[in-house]
Formats: sequence, C-alpha cells, structure tokens
Amino acid sequence: MMKQQTVTAAVLLGALALGFFACVFHQDNSWSLSERRRLAQKPAVSVEALASGAYMKSFETYSLDQFPLREVFRGVKAGVHYHLLHQRDNNGIYLVDGSLSKLETELNEESVAAAARKIKTLKETYFPDSRVFYGVVPDKNYYLAPKGGYPHLDYERLSAVLEEALPELTRIDLYDCLSAEDYYKTDSHWRQECLDRVVARLGTELGFSPIPLEDYTRETMEHFRGVYWGQSALLLKGEPLTYLTGGILEGCTVHHFEDNTDTGIYEVEKLKNPDPYDVFLGGADPLLVIENPNAETDRELILFRDSFGSSLAPLLAGSYRTVTLVDLRYVSSQLLPQLIDFHGQDVLFLYSPGVYNNAAMLK
Amino acid sequence: MLFSSISFLFYFLPAVLALYFLAPKAGKNMVLLAASLFFYWWGEPKYVFLMLFTIAFAYVCGLLIGRFRGGKGGKWFLALSIAGELALLGWFKYAGFFADTVNGVLGGTLPALHIALPIGISFYTFQTLSYTIDVYRGTVKPQRSPVKLAAYIALFPQLIAGPIVRYSDVEGALTDRRTGLDDLSAGLTRFVVGLSKKVLIANQLGAFAVSLRGCGEDSVLLYWLLAVSFTLQIYFDFSGYSDMAIGLGRVFGFRFQENFRYPLTAESITDFWRRWHISLSGWFRDYVYIPLGGSRRGWARQLRNIFIVWMLTGLWHGAAWTFVLWGLYFAVFLMLEKLWLQRYLNRAPGALRHGYLLLTVTVSFAIFNANGLSGMVGDLAGMLGLSGGPLLSEKTLYYLSGNAVLLVLAAVGATPLPGRLWTRWTERAAGRKIALVVQPLGLLALLIVCTAYLVDGSFNPFLYFRF
Repeated sequence: MMKQQTVTAAVLLGALALGFFACVFHQDNSWSLSERRRLAQKPAVSVEALASGAYMKSFETYSLDQFPLREVFRGVKAGVHYHLLHQRDNNGIYLVDGSLSKLETELNEESVAAAARKIKTLKETYFPDSRVFYGVVPDKNYYLAPKGGYPHLDYERLSAVLEEALPELTRIDLYDCLSAEDYYKTDSHWRQECLDRVVARLGTELGFSPIPLEDYTRETMEHFRGVYWGQSALLLKGEPLTYLTGGILEGCTVHHFEDNTDTGIYEVEKLKNPDPYDVFLGGADPLLVIENPNAETDRELILFRDSFGSSLAPLLAGSYRTVTLVDLRYVSSQLLPQLIDFHGQDVLFLYSPGVYNNAAMLK
Repeated sequence: MLFSSISFLFYFLPAVLALYFLAPKAGKNMVLLAASLFFYWWGEPKYVFLMLFTIAFAYVCGLLIGRFRGGKGGKWFLALSIAGELALLGWFKYAGFFADTVNGVLGGTLPALHIALPIGISFYTFQTLSYTIDVYRGTVKPQRSPVKLAAYIALFPQLIAGPIVRYSDVEGALTDRRTGLDDLSAGLTRFVVGLSKKVLIANQLGAFAVSLRGCGEDSVLLYWLLAVSFTLQIYFDFSGYSDMAIGLGRVFGFRFQENFRYPLTAESITDFWRRWHISLSGWFRDYVYIPLGGSRRGWARQLRNIFIVWMLTGLWHGAAWTFVLWGLYFAVFLMLEKLWLQRYLNRAPGALRHGYLLLTVTVSFAIFNANGLSGMVGDLAGMLGLSGGPLLSEKTLYYLSGNAVLLVLAAVGATPLPGRLWTRWTERAAGRKIALVVQPLGLLALLIVCTAYLVDGSFNPFLYFRF
C-alpha cells in the first residue's frame, strides 16, 4: 500500500513539477503553422493591467498558446476525441474516407437572399448589357457529408433561393461536375487538376472552347497540408498540390491592383507560405487582372469570386484574353467603377456556399 | 483562477505546493493565506478587498460574540454579523433581481442595477455565517488568530465553489495538521479524478448541449437530451470540482466533508438531497430548518419550514425566478414524500424508484437550466411534445450518435460501479500488483489527456461560479 502511495504521489508530483519547469523555461513561439495564426505572447506587466484583470486574461491565453509541445497535446486530444469517445467531429472538423471537412449545417436564407440582391444590384448598376452568369461552387461537404452521415446545408434550397431572386441571370450548375476526390483531403479547396468537367461546363454555358487539361504542364508540391489538417490536429499525411502551367499560359501576366505589381499566374515562392494554396494567383487579393496575349479569343471575363476562383481562373485564361477577378470580401463594390472599365465583358459570379451563407462579408 | 486551467495546474499549483512544503510549520497557514488571496485576486482583482472586509468583519464579530456570549450583547453581535454578511450577499447577488422584480410586477422605476457578482460570495458568506453562529452556540471558540481565520475563509481549494466547509470541521487542522504520504497520494488522486470529471465529461456534455441548442431543431428528443445532458453535466461539473477541492484540501492536511454520494442513484428526492451538495443541504438543515422548528411542531409547521428552506435553497443558486421555482419544485416533492409518497416508494420495485428519481431530477434541471421563465415554459413544453416539433429529427440524431459513448460513460460514471470494480480488482493479490503500475500511469494518462483538452479548447466555464 505504501509503495503504491509513494509511486502515485511521485508520478503526479513529478508531472506537475515537469509541467511547471517546461512552462516557465519553454521558449515561446510566435506562430502556429497548423492554425495559421499568431500565438499570444507573454503579456506586459503594468499596474493598470493587474488591477483591471487584463493581465490575468492575457496570461491565460498566453499559457494555452505557448504550452510546451502544444501540437502534440492537440493531437492527443483529437485522438481521444475521435477514437476513444467516438465523437463525430473535433472542433467542427470531421473525417470521412481520409478526407477532412468542416461542418456547416444551417442555411441562412436571409443571407443567401442578400447575396442575390447584391448580385442583382451590381448587374443593374454596372453591367446591365453584359451576359451575366452565376453559380455555386459546391463545397466538399456536398459530397462528403452524406457519405459519412453528417448533417449539411440544404443545397437545393440554396439554389432555389438564388434562382427565385435572380431569374434574369443564367445559372450554371456545377454540382454534377465534381466528386469528393476532386478536393484536397486536408483542405477545403478543389484541386485544380480535377476541374476539367467544371471548365467544360463553364465553356458550354459561356460559349468558349475549354483547353484540355492534358495540354498543361503539371507541377507538383509534395506534402501539402491544408487548413483543415491543422484544425483537426489528427496525424494525417500530407498530399500533393498540383498546379497546371505552361502551354497557352506562357506569357500570362497578372496585375495586382492593391500593390500595383505584376506577377506570373503562379507565385511559386508562396508554396513555402503557411497556406501553400496561395501559389494560385498569390492568394487573397481584392482585384487582379490576368492578361493572356496567347488566348484563343479576344473575349474578356469579369469573375466575382472567392478563393476557389484562384485555382479556376488560370484555366479560363486560355479562352479569355483578360480575366478580371474581383473579391468583394476585400474591396467595396462602390469602388468598382473607379477600378474597372465595364464595357460588355462576360460576367460570372461564382461563390462557395459559405460565402452565400455569410453574405455580410460581401462589401 | 480555474482549477481546470493551465495557469493553475502548471504554474500556481506546483509553486504553492513547493512553498507550502518548504515552509516551517508556523508559516504554513500564512503560505496558504497568501496563495489563496493571490488565487482569488487573479480571477477577481477588485473584489479581493470585499472578501478581506468579510473576513475582518467575521473576525471582529466572532471575538465580540465570544466575549459577550450568554448575554444580550452576544445576541446583538450575532444579529449584527448575520445582518452584515447577508446585506453584502443581498446587495451583490440579489439587489438587481429585486429591482427587476419590483419594476416588472409593480411597474416601479427602480434603477436597473448591473452589479457584477463576486466569485464565490455565496460560499464564503455561508462559511462566515456558520462560524459566527457556531461561536454564538458555543460549539467552537472564537479564533483569535486573524491569519488562521482568514486562511479558513479564503482557503483556495474550496473558496469559489465549495464544498461549504464549516469552521468546526477544520478548527483543529488550522492549528495542527500534517500531510502524510497517504494524504498526498489520495489527495492528488482525488484531484486528478475530479479534474477528469470536469474536463473530459462535464465540458464535453456542455459542448453537446451547445450543439443541440444551436442546431435549430425542436424535436421532443432534443429537449430530453438537453435535460439529460445538463443533469449529467452539472453533476460531473460540480462533483468534479468538489473532488478537486477535497483532494487539494487533503494534500494540505485538511479533511473536508464529502459533498456528493452518487445522488443520481438515489431512490427518492429525500434520498437525493442527502447525496447532492451535502454541505449546502446540511447548512440549511442546521442553520435554518432546525432553528425554524424542523419537524418538531406538527405537520403544518414542518411543511412551512420545508417551503422556506427550499425557496432559500433555490435563491441561493441564483437570483432568478427559475431558481426559486426549482427550489419550490423540490419542496413539493419533499412534502409529498413526507406526507404519503415515501410509503408507496418503499414498497415499489427498485427500478420504479430509480425511474421516479431520475425523471423528477431531470425535469428539475430543465427548469434550473432554462433561460428565464419563458425559456423554461418552452423547454418543458418541448419535453412534453407541445412545441409542435417532431419526435425525432435528423441533426438531433446526429449529435446523439456522436455523443452516445460520452453519455454512456457519464451515466456509468455517475454510479458507484467503476469504484466497486476497482475495489474488487485491488482486493486480489494479482490486482494489487497490477494496480501498482496501472493506478499511477492511469492517473498520469488522465492528467495528460485533461491537459490536452485544455490546451486545445477554450470551452471551460465552471457552472457553479455563478452561484
């Protein structure tokens, strides 16, 4: 009995002491790669902060963010959560057939209607005579959630709300152009090399001949770990990230209005970024124009898009001399006439359900 | 500061343990007092002075009551101490509720009071009340050392969420105590078990309930799952905290009384309240119910006393009508059991008695957990199928499937079964040998997993802080 007590007390006191020394002497990190965010730093001591309690609150956050072996502990939690407690998701991230996705279950019809009103207003105000199309980029949940028995958005209702509000626009249905395998396993985005049917459908609706994906050169980065990889904290392998280049895209330039710079379509150095998906057009950008002197036509396209558009637009650049990408999450629509000359270009609104469902983010 | 926080587990606790055990015997109370004030100040910087005032007030009143005990002076000073302590509790906890009620019922124009509730005020007020009342009754002597009395009232293991430790329980230990190897081992074991109950079960049940509330459905199953999960959550939350408090108390050489004895396995409401929050029900019994006459002056007086005690019990839990109704709900069942129901229960099969208890308690916590009176009506109507929702719904079934293991673990963990199995196992020679390795490693694993959950998540509110 005494032996048992000694061992128990020694083990637990040892663990607390080890934790204490590890916390006190651990070198702080500035960045969490897995969560794509800055980590809290040790708060500054001041009389005001101590008296108001602000110091203590900051210290609590700091102690969590800077806990030694934080990623290992997050992995332990995820493992226990999934495999011992048999929870269906961890922090809203779920796993089906080795692919991760984030639960999104509530369709906000008000928001979808607001997004539709936004689209309608933009058409009536800036490009009343253009051919205007819209579509929903299916998210991974559309394919993955039913497979794993997870709840998901009411996609039919989403389409119906948009269709009711935008009768004069041409709807492009992409749901049957993709499958769960066409998305990265560890990220929310679709894989560019799997978009052949999507591009073909867009070509049919917008009236252009898509460039076969075999005509491009495939460049691949191994061990890509997407945003869900970090959030899930599960021990999953990386996967390849492929981007299609060469061929008709040779000579393409991308002009970024925000910092007035010109780049190529792929910013390869960004493969080392916390989010390597930024390789496509350099990541989030309010307004940019892809110019392709070798395009098969002189037609122009304005694409109102979210991040899915970054990997899709290069595949449209072979068919359009200019593709203007507008991300209304980062630029106000009221500024557009100062930045874009609307003169009858084709216009395509392409957003994922998450954007329609949170339309307040569209400025 | 929360027990279930990294700052407590890996900064505060190891430092305090080191200081405490390195300190000479004469300095141990001072170390505990300083640590306790730091602990309270960390979570509630502006109210630490309120607590110090309460301690000073109780100290002076205790000395004066002791000095004049047996005469009118003693009575006056007791009345002063009770009035003073209750006035502070009343102002900080109930003034806003009173103003809202007057304005709502009588159409008054009392100003809306937004007074922040000092953490743990209900607990330490009841402790100081028990001290001064016991001094008046002569069951304890007034404490002449302000450090000892302050260490008792502010003692961080039980400061903010109980159990309500009576001065008489620790009077001797404040002067003379030691921590043996058995205390250290048993105390730390109890602490880790309590931490696991809180972090691995109560918090996860809380997250389950949040998912259910947010899923936008209103099936009958959803409302029942909400009630059941909250019943289990509050049990594991509060009993887990009590385990941690009792465990830490033992590490520092104190023996606090048990606060829970598997209440969800009770067979009647009377039995339930002998097992649930024992320190509170014992306090009301000894300081309110019995002084009112208890059961000694006929049925009518007894029923009146039950009514008063349970209305106060409800109010103690929170300044809202739902808490009052929750207390009175139990008063009704306790009266029914005293009048005739207990006789029938005694003859009923065990399963029926358990079923009655679980149903009654689950409904009670639906009242307790409701968001105001309208929320309570909505939740109860939902449980009865009167909200117009279906019996089952897709998302509710999804969340149920994802939390089935958790619910089963919680249900089994709320019974003495795991403890009995462990005892039976360790009674055997082979079991004892294996337990030598399994117990410390199992506890270490639990500590690691709890840490992992704390590091990963920020959902960690202690339910009993609001009381």
